[in-house]
Amino acid sequence: MAVHVVAVCGSAFHSMNAPSPPVSPSPATSSAEPGRSAALARAWLRAETRRAGRTTRWPILTGLVAVAAGALQAVLAGAVLARALAALAAALHPPPPIRFPLAGAPAAPAIPALGITAYGQAAAGLPPPPPPHTALWVLLGGFLLAMLVRAAANYASERFAFAAGATARRHLRSDAMARLLAAGPAVLAGQHSGALAAIVMDRIELLDGYFARYLPARTLALVGPALILLVALALDPFAALVLALAGALVPFGMALAGIGAKRATERQFAALSRLQVRFLDRMRGLSTIILAGRAEAEAAALQTAAGDLRRRTMRVLRVAFLSASILDLAAAAALVVLAIHYAQVLAPAGAPAKGVAPAAALGVLLLVAEFFAPLRSLASVYQDGIHARSAAAELIALPPAPPEPVARTVRNVAAQGISVAFEHVNLTRDAARGAVLSDLSFRIPAGETLVLVGPSGSGKSTVIETLLGFHRPQSGRVTLNGADLSDVVPAALSRLTAWVGQRPKLFAGTIAENIRFARPEASEQEVTAAARAAHVSDFAEALPAGLGTRIGEGGFGLSGGQAQRIAIARAFLRNAPLLLLDEPTAHLDPASEALVLDSLRRLAVGRTVILASHSAAAYEFSGRRLHLAAGRVAA
Amino acid sequence: MNEVAGPLLRVIGRWRGQSGWLVLGAVVSLAALGSAIGLMLVAGAALTVRRGGAAVPHPIALLALAAGGSLLAAPLLLRALGSGRVVLRYLDRLTSHAATFRALAALRVWFFRGLAANSAGGLGFRHAGDVLARLVGDVEALDGLYVRILLPLIGALVLAPVLAVALGLFSIPLAAIVTALFVLAAFVLPLRAARGTAAAGQSQAEAAAALRIAILDTLSGLPEVRAFGAEGRMLASVQAREAQLLAAQRAQARRVATFGAGALLLGQVAVLAVLTMATRHPSAAIVAAFLVVAAFEAVGGLARAGALAGQASAAARRVLEAAEAPAVVADPPHPAPMPATHTLTFEAVRFRWQPDLPYVFEQLDLSIAPGTRIALLGPSGIGKSSLAALALRLAAPESGRILLGGTDIATLPAAGLHARIAWLSQTTHLFADTIRNNLRLCCPDADDAMLWQALEAARIADAVRALPEGLDTWLGEGGAGFSGGQGRRLALARTLLSPAPILILDEPCAGLDAATERDFLTTLNEVAAGRTVILIAHRLTGVERLDRIWRLSGGVAVAAAA
Repeated sequence: MAVHVVAVCGSAFHSMNAPSPPVSPSPATSSAEPGRSAALARAWLRAETRRAGRTTRWPILTGLVAVAAGALQAVLAGAVLARALAALAAALHPPPPIRFPLAGAPAAPAIPALGITAYGQAAAGLPPPPPPHTALWVLLGGFLLAMLVRAAANYASERFAFAAGATARRHLRSDAMARLLAAGPAVLAGQHSGALAAIVMDRIELLDGYFARYLPARTLALVGPALILLVALALDPFAALVLALAGALVPFGMALAGIGAKRATERQFAALSRLQVRFLDRMRGLSTIILAGRAEAEAAALQTAAGDLRRRTMRVLRVAFLSASILDLAAAAALVVLAIHYAQVLAPAGAPAKGVAPAAALGVLLLVAEFFAPLRSLASVYQDGIHARSAAAELIALPPAPPEPVARTVRNVAAQGISVAFEHVNLTRDAARGAVLSDLSFRIPAGETLVLVGPSGSGKSTVIETLLGFHRPQSGRVTLNGADLSDVVPAALSRLTAWVGQRPKLFAGTIAENIRFARPEASEQEVTAAARAAHVSDFAEALPAGLGTRIGEGGFGLSGGQAQRIAIARAFLRNAPLLLLDEPTAHLDPASEALVLDSLRRLAVGRTVILASHSAAAYEFSGRRLHLAAGRVAA
Repeated sequence: MNEVAGPLLRVIGRWRGQSGWLVLGAVVSLAALGSAIGLMLVAGAALTVRRGGAAVPHPIALLALAAGGSLLAAPLLLRALGSGRVVLRYLDRLTSHAATFRALAALRVWFFRGLAANSAGGLGFRHAGDVLARLVGDVEALDGLYVRILLPLIGALVLAPVLAVALGLFSIPLAAIVTALFVLAAFVLPLRAARGTAAAGQSQAEAAAALRIAILDTLSGLPEVRAFGAEGRMLASVQAREAQLLAAQRAQARRVATFGAGALLLGQVAVLAVLTMATRHPSAAIVAAFLVVAAFEAVGGLARAGALAGQASAAARRVLEAAEAPAVVADPPHPAPMPATHTLTFEAVRFRWQPDLPYVFEQLDLSIAPGTRIALLGPSGIGKSSLAALALRLAAPESGRILLGGTDIATLPAAGLHARIAWLSQTTHLFADTIRNNLRLCCPDADDAMLWQALEAARIADAVRALPEGLDTWLGEGGAGFSGGQGRRLALARTLLSPAPILILDEPCAGLDAATERDFLTTLNEVAAGRTVILIAHRLTGVERLDRIWRLSGGVAVAAAA
């Protein structure tokens, strides 16, 4: 598509309303298979564009109405000004002095009702002209009307554009979150949650520009000028020819000036965002820099890096802006050619060959700006297109939603008393690192405790995480009360289990809300009781707002032991028959450990418990002991 | 109004050093604007003059063609203006971008210096990296200030009198109407649009922050979410926050669209006014129509920029507040000379992070002689790290004194203090840079042999040696590419390279497995010989060779077994 080449760097900067630019293309990731990933990104964008077709249709249609209203305004303004011209001529030369003929002027049949041709007929010396049958006020009224329509259409187009962007973002964000939620904790093995959150938050915000601005502008840049061209054709074929040539010059000239520049520009955008990454990185590590006494050196280095980048960027921009100038050149050339042409046509003594009504001439001149306006709009949102491709590449890289468990026969598992069995389970998480569990078999009757002991890396956590549904064994069976785990839908599985891990996640919110996370429908009393049972109340009472104290992001910072007690309170509230404890005291000091173990012992009463531990905690629990080594039961 | 304009003006004030470039950009931009206006003017004039004949050349046509010297020169002048406009517009883009690059770079460096001067102990020390990241976004958000607000405003200031005079030459009423409309479009409407946007910008920023936290919480809590079957709830909460953000953005978009339509209408009303006058002042009207179209187009974006000024202003305010905040603990105006020895003494220190939080230390007395090796033990959350922050004067005690070599550290220069004490904290940052540059942070002239020695001591040399690019391997953001434990060991190697006589190692073995931990602590006994080592931990392994062990409990340090 030719318009793609409108690679104008309208501005290398992000407009103030646009979301912040992508701040992460790391040099390492972007270089891998650039061609293939770029092709994938383009294909993805095409698919999403098709999907968004219905919502992007409205900003385009209303935008087109605005273009049409603008064209109508130009024509009407030309007609009014032509009257002025006629009045002027009449004042200077009472008898019509113009000699150029106008028979068959293309404008004549075009818009006779508006009286635009009246002057031309007079000029051509046809029978005495009837007084213009369109009163001036009609023309002005028409102009007023068109102006209102145009403003309203512009307004509507912007609102529709926002709606299109919002719809797309809503869909993409929900889709990305759903994929990540479905893939589960496994995705965190390869990527930092902060990086994933940046994709879901910032990259999708960045795509707004693509759906709200770039897509409509791209279509309008084709259809808008075409519409204007039709109007120009009706007014004066020569003008239409000039505009068409100038319009064609735009993509053609840009292709010429921009083929090399475009790639360099994109590279430069990447370099620019690398500088932003560097700045961000140095700010994150500010205290490290200060304590090393390197603040001044880093500031100077930052300045040098910015200066270097600016010089290199300006070298690229010097070429890149040439392609922007092509658009200016085309617009100016069209205007100059037409102005000179009409000046000669309208000259008292000149141009006998062809004549154009002054109204048409003036209308055409006013149309020139309208003709190029959609092209300019596209140029100004061009970077939205570039950013969309980089954002798309990152969204594609998110894990695809894994297939739902093939529920052969969804089993109901009795909610009371759970027995667990591993039967010849083999599980490999990373082929390079070998099997994590090999031919593992054991069985726990309902209500009993199994303590998994063994060095780190022996597969203790994997056993627990398999029961939580984080991993799926390659072979063998895991059963709950005899039902195969893969037949139990995730929601049902989670109702059966409560889990206390090594480093519990605290969400932004109050302590009470964090406990309630385990069971949203729990009553106030149940939450308080769980807090007391897990020794949360002990420290919460010293806090400013008790259980209502805000913790997590932007809230009060809790110690590891305190966080662990909140996790245990969750497990109390959950009140599930199967309790999974994964090194719950691994990161605690002895005093916290004692408190936590006390709570855990009370929590364990009457439940099936699997405890993974390599510390003294193991000896606090009576129950069967299973020694693991390298994913098997040690002798 | 001041609440919006004030911070923006102060940011512009920060650009004094770049004023040469900014002025050049403005001059070129005005020239480009002039050529655009001139082109439209002459295009109209050429028609009129030809049409009207030379009998009554009207003032504007004369004005426009004065440069050409002759009415016959119109086509020439047109061509000149046409190509001049293209060239000037090109130069305009170049200079305004060059100016913005300079201004933005200067702002970044100024911001960095400002934060470095005031916030060693505050921001960046306690998991505040994300706060900083948001501030960085705010700095970047100011990039449109010059091109989108300042330049069009300057253009409008020049255009308003030009319009008034040019049109006034033949019709005072028309000049009055059009100029009034222009002032409305270029100044009044943008100002009106900017009013009250501070609150809108604020609520949008809050909605965005809430959504970001909901997403980050959900993703970093994926294990909990899966274990408790909370997928649906978390998705719903993200969607609810997103709906709030979209609502705030929608209100903003409506504002922008409304004011954009307003600006368009004002320009069109001006054209309509010209057209209405067309029969009374025919020749002037034609020229004026072209002039008005070009003039209003030049300021068309200002109303939109005004509607968005609140956001930019809110960003500017946060940036200024952060960079100009007073230092947590200010350097003394006349610092005492650095002491010769480095005994570290805490005398009756009473400390808490905030007035509404419980005390971390109520009565801390502790003396650490040079070259001794001590361990500070205590349960997590008791404030063992606060001790390091106090020693480095990142925080000040409520009462009591901290002495280095017998001199109260409150009287010492911060830089001197930092040079004496190296701290491996829980939040020590690995930079997106090569391993070599990361290691050299503390001592820029260390040679490779020293680097490898430190890497050996930190038990990470083998992993680095296995990398194809060795010391030149690029660490990703936050040290990505290395596991958490390996990252900690790199940070440890960096700390060991520091020439400081006092090392504070805050849980140096976090993220190490038991065997590596013992191995590391054994090595530490050798490499740090002669230096004071303060080992902060929640338990000991038994291999540490220590002179004293202190246990922190109840806000005091209790001597434990030696």
